[in-house]
Amino acid sequence: MIQLEINKVCKNFGGLQVLKDVSLKVEGPELIGLIGPNGAGKTTLTNILDGVIKPTSGTVYLNGKRIDPLPPYKAAQAGVGRTFQVTRAFRRLTVLENLYVPALAMNPTARQRDFRKRAVEVLTFLTMEHLRNEYAQALSGGQQKLLELGRLLMLNPDIMILDEPFAGVHPKLMEIIYQYIYRVNEEGKAIIIISHDMETIFTLCRRLLVLNYGDLIADGDPEIVKKDPVVIEAYLGRDEEEQ
Amino acid sequence: MKKRIPHITGVLAVVFLLAFPFIYTRADYDFMMHLWITAFFYAILASSWSLLGGYAGQFSFGHMAFMAIGAYATGLFSNYVYLASAPTHVCTEFKLGDFYLVFLEPIGVTSTKLTCLDLAKQSWPVDVIVTQPSIVWGILLGILLGGVFGLLIGALVLRLRAAYLALLTIGFSEILRAAISAEIFITRGQAGLRLKPLFSNGLTIFGRTYSAIDKVPPYYLMLFLFLFCIAIMVWLVRSRFGLFIRSIREDEEAAAALAVNTVRYKILVFVITSMMAAAAGAVQAHYIGIITPNILILLQMSIVIAMAVIGGLESIVGAAVGAIIISFTLEFLRSSFTIGPVTVDMTIWRLVIFGLLLMLTLRFWRNGLIYPLLLWFSRAGAKQETVAKRLTDADPDGAGGPTEESV
Repeated sequence: MIQLEINKVCKNFGGLQVLKDVSLKVEGPELIGLIGPNGAGKTTLTNILDGVIKPTSGTVYLNGKRIDPLPPYKAAQAGVGRTFQVTRAFRRLTVLENLYVPALAMNPTARQRDFRKRAVEVLTFLTMEHLRNEYAQALSGGQQKLLELGRLLMLNPDIMILDEPFAGVHPKLMEIIYQYIYRVNEEGKAIIIISHDMETIFTLCRRLLVLNYGDLIADGDPEIVKKDPVVIEAYLGRDEEEQ
Repeated sequence: MKKRIPHITGVLAVVFLLAFPFIYTRADYDFMMHLWITAFFYAILASSWSLLGGYAGQFSFGHMAFMAIGAYATGLFSNYVYLASAPTHVCTEFKLGDFYLVFLEPIGVTSTKLTCLDLAKQSWPVDVIVTQPSIVWGILLGILLGGVFGLLIGALVLRLRAAYLALLTIGFSEILRAAISAEIFITRGQAGLRLKPLFSNGLTIFGRTYSAIDKVPPYYLMLFLFLFCIAIMVWLVRSRFGLFIRSIREDEEAAAALAVNTVRYKILVFVITSMMAAAAGAVQAHYIGIITPNILILLQMSIVIAMAVIGGLESIVGAAVGAIIISFTLEFLRSSFTIGPVTVDMTIWRLVIFGLLLMLTLRFWRNGLIYPLLLWFSRAGAKQETVAKRLTDADPDGAGGPTEESV
């Protein structure tokens, strides 16, 4: 069973403390939302899980293996997959080539043709099969988001961190992303969704984490969390007032 | 059929190059052979730079430095390393089987002093054998050192991008040039380091004997080196290596997040391309017979990059073809001509024309002039309509409309 354990993780950038003793556990194929105002530390936490930055203190274990000292490629090999807030498709690679990158990186002795069937299946699921030979730069922003999700399917990690997967996406493509999340979750993957889209988070997630200026101020059932006065004060209330 | 045209053209081109020394019979035979050898040399440099700069996105200005490392390594080896059947007792030497590997001490450019080997010879009996190791060992040493320096520079520039990488590699190249210029005692500085010919004892192939100064053996050696390098690079770019370095070029962080060991591949591409540049430099140095630090001036590096850009930055074959065409063009444009009272000195103006072509290519044909042709053939048969049109047809609501960037 997937087990992610974050223990008292702190991250300082100079004098600025971005994460303060953040601890949490993910057990099994959970579907988790991670919210918080800008600057709350969501992306920093993602970058620590992904190996892009190292925590100032604290540890991260995935399936019993410590992953916080690992470089990003080893964190990915250990089972952490992520998408980025701003889409980062390999623009001058074709759609198929984009999918081959993680598949080949995870399988050192395999060849491209070994993954062709799988890649076409992924593209069919994402309704992008007809675009397989196009360069990624020719795709719309929404399609590039789908392509990033497709790459994660080829990477086949234990835990996926999706950073703003719905931002700027047409409702029709959003529906595909919804299906993607449900299917991947049913297949046994843990998913952490970072989003400012509250409606989507409350619809999809069965557990909600709230970060506020580096503090994990809430962790639990979304229905309970959204009534938490601390959360309302820190994030939801202010957001509603702004709207 | 259209898709096969580049392959058929490629095979015909190789056959033509193999046959050229036997089918060309005009009076300027030696000159033409020299042009071809030089063109192959530049083609190796330009195509290996396109692997580094175009495929991997590592805009290095140190490529000529690696070429020079190969050239000077074999040059110094052939000037300072000997084999003797008896110990000299005055030189630095190591026993190597029945022989001694003897390293001469540098004696400078104008010194009339005898070398330690000359001194030893005076006391040796006549049956002591003194030879020089084959230049193959010097060339291999040059390639190896090119790879070692490629590894060091590759590791040093891992975190550098764009202008910073370019500046650091220019710095490396200039340091090397200054060091070679300054160490006159060892390298003979601007006076130049002389090298033995590639085939100092001549060569007999298929019953035909070629002298040490004949152009045919070096032509084939450089041609085979060129074809070997191209074959290796084409194989690499079609393998996972090519896919990974292109993904790193596009977005290094995203590639790492998808389990690509970006450090390994960035260093590997530096090592491989440096070794190719060093190999080309080592062979060319023996062919020309003398090397000076001027091979490291920035203009030389700029010419190689311009060849790659004009041929096609993201095409090994495009860059190589571009380098060959430009090598010949630059040479043929040397002829000055007179229009009325004005004489145009083309030895200078040819570089102006070359610069102008480079500017126009960068402005209007960013993929170069050769690569788009290859691409046009290789993508033959693909649907001609755009992604945007297809999506509009399939989805009138415009859910998948292209982004502004995609057009």
